[in-house]
Parts: sequence; structure tokens; C-alpha cells
Amino acid sequence: MNSRALITVAFSALALCLCSTAPADAKTITLPTEAPPLKASPLPGYAKAQANCVACHSAEYMLYQPPTAPRAYWEAMVTRMKVVFKAPIDDADMPAIVDYLVKTYGNEQPK
Amino acid sequence: MRDDTNRLRRRLLAGGAGALAAAGLGTLSRAAFAQATTIELPIANGKRNVVAFPEKRPLIVLTTRPPQLETPFEVFNDGLITPNDAFFVRYHNAGIPTSIDGDRHVIKIGGNAVGKPFELTLAELRSQFKPIEYVAVNQCSGNSRGLFSPRVTGGQLTNGAMGNARWVGVPLKDVLARAELKNTARQVTFNGLDTAVFGGGDFVKSIDVSHALDGEVMLAYQMNGADIPMLNGYPVKLIVPGYYGTYWVKHLSEIEVIDGVFEGFWMKPAYRIPDNDCACIEPGTAPAATRPIGRFNVRSFITSVQDGARLRAGQQTVVRGIAFDGGQGIREVAYSTDAGQTWREAKLGNDLGRYSFREFTFAFTPDKGTYDLRVRAWNRSGQSQPMDALWQPAGYMRNVVERVSVTAV
Repeated sequence: MNSRALITVAFSALALCLCSTAPADAKTITLPTEAPPLKASPLPGYAKAQANCVACHSAEYMLYQPPTAPRAYWEAMVTRMKVVFKAPIDDADMPAIVDYLVKTYGNEQPK
Repeated sequence: MRDDTNRLRRRLLAGGAGALAAAGLGTLSRAAFAQATTIELPIANGKRNVVAFPEKRPLIVLTTRPPQLETPFEVFNDGLITPNDAFFVRYHNAGIPTSIDGDRHVIKIGGNAVGKPFELTLAELRSQFKPIEYVAVNQCSGNSRGLFSPRVTGGQLTNGAMGNARWVGVPLKDVLARAELKNTARQVTFNGLDTAVFGGGDFVKSIDVSHALDGEVMLAYQMNGADIPMLNGYPVKLIVPGYYGTYWVKHLSEIEVIDGVFEGFWMKPAYRIPDNDCACIEPGTAPAATRPIGRFNVRSFITSVQDGARLRAGQQTVVRGIAFDGGQGIREVAYSTDAGQTWREAKLGNDLGRYSFREFTFAFTPDKGTYDLRVRAWNRSGQSQPMDALWQPAGYMRNVVERVSVTAV
């Protein structure tokens, strides 16, 4: 057996070994966890938004909306999260969450 | 091309260094540096982080969870094919798969309009069917939404939620043939492994049966000669060439042929456009009727020079760009160097297929001064781009004639 053949055999053995010891042929990724937080606020909806909104999605969804986004938009989104996505938001908490969102990210931000 | 890349890098580094200095950080871990790198998009409230997600180079982060990533525009000048690690990412729900066995992955084919429901592993899909291959653009419905005026709510993207790749897979038609469709078959629905956190709003899409059987809609298992990146739908993704990315279901796991029109949330009321010829309405009004979004309209972009670039007066510059449409193919690209007063024909590059980006170039030798460059494409059925942007409430389908202002000195 010449050296080239030997190398081939060695590589084949290595490949077999890797295949047989690898658990499953799975592709696995680890996603980044750091994301911008909700903007802190003295408004009562801030804590409620932290408890309800960012459980499912990161705060960039709010942070990057155009500053022109009106109250009707934020109301529609909070309602959608509850009605469509089944987010367990207390009805009683919804007005405060909307108020925090529109005053922090929407068109009722302090000038 | 290299200059542009370097310029982007410098811009990113400058942003990152500034942010780090402001935060008073001493040592720079790689992760911390990535977190601190930012880019300023040309829209109000346009500051974004630039982060490398798994299998991706640093991309513009629209949202972290679920991942939504925009391709830096400079990438589109690097070649007609968008590299896998630069390709945009769009998810709708945060329950996304992070570990998948590529061979054992199962696609279930069923529904009330098939005679023979069955299951297929990806290994079987690869080995039991004859593959097809084509180059096709994938573009998010909301690509460029952030540029709408007046602004609309939703994911605030600029022009980087698009990409062009070579896809290899099996025609959906061949897979469906095994299921023995009934005469009642009307639509086909598609679901993937991604799930909604609280169960509501699972991402399911549908197309008509006639479309599903056109021989082009594909179950792709390869993208640009490699496995599809996890965040783009590993191990198998539905390719609906010429149609907006909303239909390109990732981690495809369930196909159902049904006897009705599917009206899940992501088909209705989401992803609807005004039901008229221009898919547009007066800003601030509501459409009288809507239909599901469908094919791409015509778009073209200059990629080799960016807005605000400086050129050498008296020296010839070859301006380069890309054009595409919903599948007729690009017939012509015209360019103007005087804000649309006069137009000349640009030279088209190699034809990679009617669903692909098409390169165009034109030579431009400016005298000293400022020039408003514009490009406008036509497809083979004569459709083109509006000079002034159209508007619709969801911010889909932007395709205005783009402007790039350059100054020759």
C-alpha cells in the first residue's frame, strides 16, 4: 500500500469513527439572548409591559416603531397579542400597557 | 466594491467604538463588541444594532427575539448571488427551532382533499425525487417599509430584506402527485416547525392548487450549494418564485391540500394589499377591499454608489446595479443622471433566469457638480416602477424609482 492509499484509509477510518460517535446528525444553533430592554418609565404600564410583552418578543418591536405611531396602533397591537396570539394579558392591565407604549414609543412621547 | 465594504466597516467600527467609549467599557469581548456595533439607517428612529447571529455575518438587527435581520445594502454590490451568511431573516413567532436532524426531519402531506396522506423524511425527499434548480429572489413583503411617507407601523426595514439565491429541491407538484389529489382540492397550506409561544397565531400560509402544481414551486433543501442556514429554514424551505417571502415557509413540516380557501391570521387579515391595480390607496385612508399579497412588482437599485457619494470629476465611473420583478424577467433598465429629465438605456448583464437579480451597468463621466441619479426597470410584459412612491397601510410592495445623489469634485 502506498502512502496515498494509507492516507485515504486513515481518513476513511476517521470519518467512520466521527459518524458512529456523533449522537444524531442534527444542526444546532445557539441564539443571542441580549436585546435592548423596554425603556424604563414611572408609568404604571411599564412593569405590566415587562411582565406581558417581552415574555414573547424582544422590545425592538416597540423601540423601532415610527414616533408617529398613534394610540390606535398600540391598542390594536395589544389587542392582537391577546386575541390572536393568546397572550395571557389581564383585561384590566391593557389600558395601562397601551398608555405606557404610546407615551414611550408613539406619538404621545414628551416633546 | 472593496471600497464600499471598507467604508461600511469603518462606519460600523466608528459606531461601535463610540458606543463602547460612552459606556466606559475597558476590555472588549467579541460578544460585547458585536452588541455595541450600530448602524444609522436613513429614517427617523433608525439606529440599529449590528450583530452576528448563528451562521450569519454581522447583520442589521430589526428584532432579536424572534430573529429578524436585514442585509446591509453594500452586500448587493458584491455579486448577483446573496451569500447565505448575509441573507436576510424574518420570523413571525418566537418559538423557533434551534436543533434539527436534517435527514430525519419529516414532512406530513395530508388534508381533506387528498386520497392518500403520507409522510416523507428529508432523506426520502432527496433520494426519491428528481431535483430541479433555479436562481430566485426572495423579498420580504415589507422590504423598504421604513421608507414609506407618511410612515406606517410594522417592521421598519430599509432596502435589505431581499436576497438572490440558487435553490435546489423537488417540485411541489411531484410530491403532491403521490397524495392523489381529489377533484375538490382548492388550496394548499404550509406549516413549519416554528411555533407561537402561547399557541395562537401559528404561521401557516396558503396558495391555490393551480399555483402549487405549476412545477416551479419547490421544496428546497439546498441554497447556494450548501445546506439552508437554520435561520432561513433548514432543512427544507418552500420556494415560491416571484412571490413575496411570506409564502416561503421555513422548516417546512406540514402540507395540507384542502377543499376551501384557508383564512388563518397570516392570510387574513395579515399580508393583505388593496384590491386594485396599483395595490395602493391615498395615504391615511383605508382600502375598500383587500386580497392576499402575491407577486413582486418591478424594482431596480444602484448598488455601486451610495447616496451622498463623491466621484472624481472628468473621470469615467461605471455605475452598477440590480433589477428584478415577479418572474417575467427584466427587459430594460433606463438611467437618468439629471433627476429624470432625460433617460438612456443601461447595459444588462448575464441573465441568470427570470426570477433572478439582473445586473445592469452604465458609464458616467461627470463634470464638477451634484447629480441626481435614477434608474427605472421594465419587465417583459411592460410593467415598470412609479416615479413617485405609492402608498398602502401595511407598507408592502414599495417599488418607487430610486434616487442616488452623487457629487463630482
